[in-house]
Amino acid sequence: MIKIENLSVSFGAAEAVKNVTLEIGAGEILGVVGESGSGKSVTALTLMGLVSETARITSGRISFDKETLLEAGKPYDKALYRKFLGCRMSMVFQEPMTSLNPTKRAGRQVEEMLRLHREAWRPQGSEASGGERKRKGRELPGALTERDKAEGEDIRRRVLEIFRAVGLKDEERVYESFPHQLSGGMRQRVMIAMAAVLRPDLMVCDEPTTALDVTVQNQIIELLREINEKQKNAMLFITHDLNLARRLCHRVAVMKDGRVVETGPTEELFKNPREEYTRKLMEAVPSRMRKYGGIADSFAREYMGERPGEQIRGRGVCGEMEGPGDTERAENTEGPGDAVLEVRDLSVYYQEGSNSLFARNRKKCAVEAATFAIRRGEVLGLVGESGCGKTSLSKAILGMNRDIRGSVVHHSPHPQMIFQDPYGSLNPAKTIGWLLQEPLRARGRREASFRMSEADRRAAAYDMLRKIGLPETYYARKPAQLSGGQRQRVSIGQALITEPGLVIADEPVSALDVTIQAQIMELMQKFREEMGLSYLFISHDINVIYQMSDRIMVMKDGRIIEQGDTETVFHSPKEAYTRLLLSES
Amino acid sequence: MEQNLGRRNNKYLAAGLVMTLLVAGVALLGVFWTPYGTTVMSASEKFHGPSLRHLFGTDNFGRDIFSRVMKGAGATILISGLVVSVSGAMGILAGAVTGYFGGILDEVMMRITDAVNGFPSVLLGLVIISVLGPGRQNVVISLVIVFTPSFIRIVRSEFIRLRDADYISRARMMGVGRLRILFVHILPNTMSTFWASVMIGFNNAILAESGMSFLGIGVQPPDATLGNMLSDAQGYLTRAPWYALAPGLTMVWIVLGFSLLGEGLRRTQT
Repeated sequence: MIKIENLSVSFGAAEAVKNVTLEIGAGEILGVVGESGSGKSVTALTLMGLVSETARITSGRISFDKETLLEAGKPYDKALYRKFLGCRMSMVFQEPMTSLNPTKRAGRQVEEMLRLHREAWRPQGSEASGGERKRKGRELPGALTERDKAEGEDIRRRVLEIFRAVGLKDEERVYESFPHQLSGGMRQRVMIAMAAVLRPDLMVCDEPTTALDVTVQNQIIELLREINEKQKNAMLFITHDLNLARRLCHRVAVMKDGRVVETGPTEELFKNPREEYTRKLMEAVPSRMRKYGGIADSFAREYMGERPGEQIRGRGVCGEMEGPGDTERAENTEGPGDAVLEVRDLSVYYQEGSNSLFARNRKKCAVEAATFAIRRGEVLGLVGESGCGKTSLSKAILGMNRDIRGSVVHHSPHPQMIFQDPYGSLNPAKTIGWLLQEPLRARGRREASFRMSEADRRAAAYDMLRKIGLPETYYARKPAQLSGGQRQRVSIGQALITEPGLVIADEPVSALDVTIQAQIMELMQKFREEMGLSYLFISHDINVIYQMSDRIMVMKDGRIIEQGDTETVFHSPKEAYTRLLLSES
Repeated sequence: MEQNLGRRNNKYLAAGLVMTLLVAGVALLGVFWTPYGTTVMSASEKFHGPSLRHLFGTDNFGRDIFSRVMKGAGATILISGLVVSVSGAMGILAGAVTGYFGGILDEVMMRITDAVNGFPSVLLGLVIISVLGPGRQNVVISLVIVFTPSFIRIVRSEFIRLRDADYISRARMMGVGRLRILFVHILPNTMSTFWASVMIGFNNAILAESGMSFLGIGVQPPDATLGNMLSDAQGYLTRAPWYALAPGLTMVWIVLGFSLLGEGLRRTQT
């Protein structure tokens, strides 16, 4: 039904899409899978006529049924597109936070679709009256005719209907809600309602679930499948997540560097991929089938059994951490000798509302009575959905949040943290070399025994650069010149250059492509072996957690609901919520 | 594509640089040498039009306007530059501290800047001058009082934006000291915004200083500034239009050059 033939799109000298040919039949879900920069989004945007003005279509054509939407060398036909967009083809974007207008009620935004495309849903006879209504409107500005009222009622009824259909239970309330009053999942449902309300022949979904939690992600996937079955429309589903594509799509096309590498029916393609790249992509996906663990386990045993003399104890970095609770100094704690971190009954609070003088602040509990320990050389995985308190917990452990009760005892020097966003965690004004040296400078300033000469620091930074697998020329570069994965490497190097005993990694791979993800996880494992590190590894992706961790904690609504050995938790989860997490990924 | 953008930016930057350097060079020259004395009158040469002898003509006392413009532009640029440097520096200090630490200090500081911003800036400047009395350094003092709050606001909002950035959290975790975080980690990242506001501030200072001189409460005659030359010239607009045009166009030249320079700089940074 939809044919993309030989499409090439360039931005200036760079070709983003090269000779892409795709075909979507009626009622079919085609998945386009690829890493960031593979041209999958540009292809979709070009199909929708939404690609930016700087893009040039250098070859190929796009046709819809019999009509040609776009052809190389011909100017973009706005009028034609306006006829198609919305009523015959529609789009769901990745970011539910920004793709709804924050100043308009959700219901109104869906209504607008119906109002703009009357011809698509009103019976033929009344089309003429649309024009008549306009004329009347000019004569009597502001006056509502009976017909207008009836139409308004009709539109409202349709919107509520589609809200129910996309699983928004309290549809009347949602209708009157502003986007900020809705959760991410609900917003994405509103987006889908908007895209599906006119029963378009083609829905383009660009990473519709990427910004959502796993459990919500699955509901959205189910919803899309349901819409596809009911409305029999075609879908173009763009994702970087192979598992999702496998679950939803009938056919899958794999893209790399602007080209379609391989396409075929989903199961066939997943069972025996023909191309090297497809295989690599599938191997990089963290799964419960494989585990780096073997090495790590033996390492932990070896390290703890044979080299007890090297245990560093009682540095008590968090001694200055004075919450309302009694944070003990590490010197005088009993505790098992091999623990790098002990957390007892830790509750973390945060202030709700603005920090203004006049607002009354209410305390909310982000983490409730968490108790756990991390042993030397161990990776403790912490899994939970967004808002469950993972980040609050990790910040409290590092003394970044002082509103706590309970105790946090460190037995390792200088615990460090790695953040999720590789773009935000390096100072853009500094060079990589400077960034790698800064932890050493800071430590030298605090502790005289660690003071290093400029030359030593430089040497240490070059050494770390090599260890994190970046060429020496990167020393003088700035973060803006690095890719996401490279930045995350620098973050890791920065955290490890002072040789901490414990590193808290808050979703360190969530913002990265799968192949990069695998590399970063490998790098982290390598450092763990070399330096005898412990990690508190936080992720929402239970497969990533499985691959990295020796033990697992499951967190929900600020509580740790389950913890235990990775294998035990995965094979016989005690809590229903854990089972839900496991079953859905 | 990036190179393309760079070339287009350089046009702004180049035009701005040429205009600014030219006027700054001439003004700097004026400090040491002018074709004629700025206060030398000559009854026989009143109201001569522009010629090779007197590039911009002469005024009602037969003084050479080009010489006076040289001196006047110098005075105007000096005063504005001083005002912007002092209030910029104060803005960085106060903005950094209030933005990063927040709390009571921030609250008090913001109410003070609100109070200052509550008055039209030129009017407030006039009031301060009328209290302090006219004169070069009083002009500087009053304009610093008027201009500092906006710099504090700009720097403060940048610090508020950046204080919770991941890389700042990480710096804190590494044990970097507070002052170092403020001035080594955060400050460089505020500079593009800061310089843009310095450029605008400088132009505003030029206009404000000229306005004060025009009203006769700034730099006092017989010293020349662009503002008091305009003020003298307004009585002779029809008889000797070059008298008003020379300082007026010079002012336009300075402000335009600086705007272009600022725009050029802004574009190279983004």
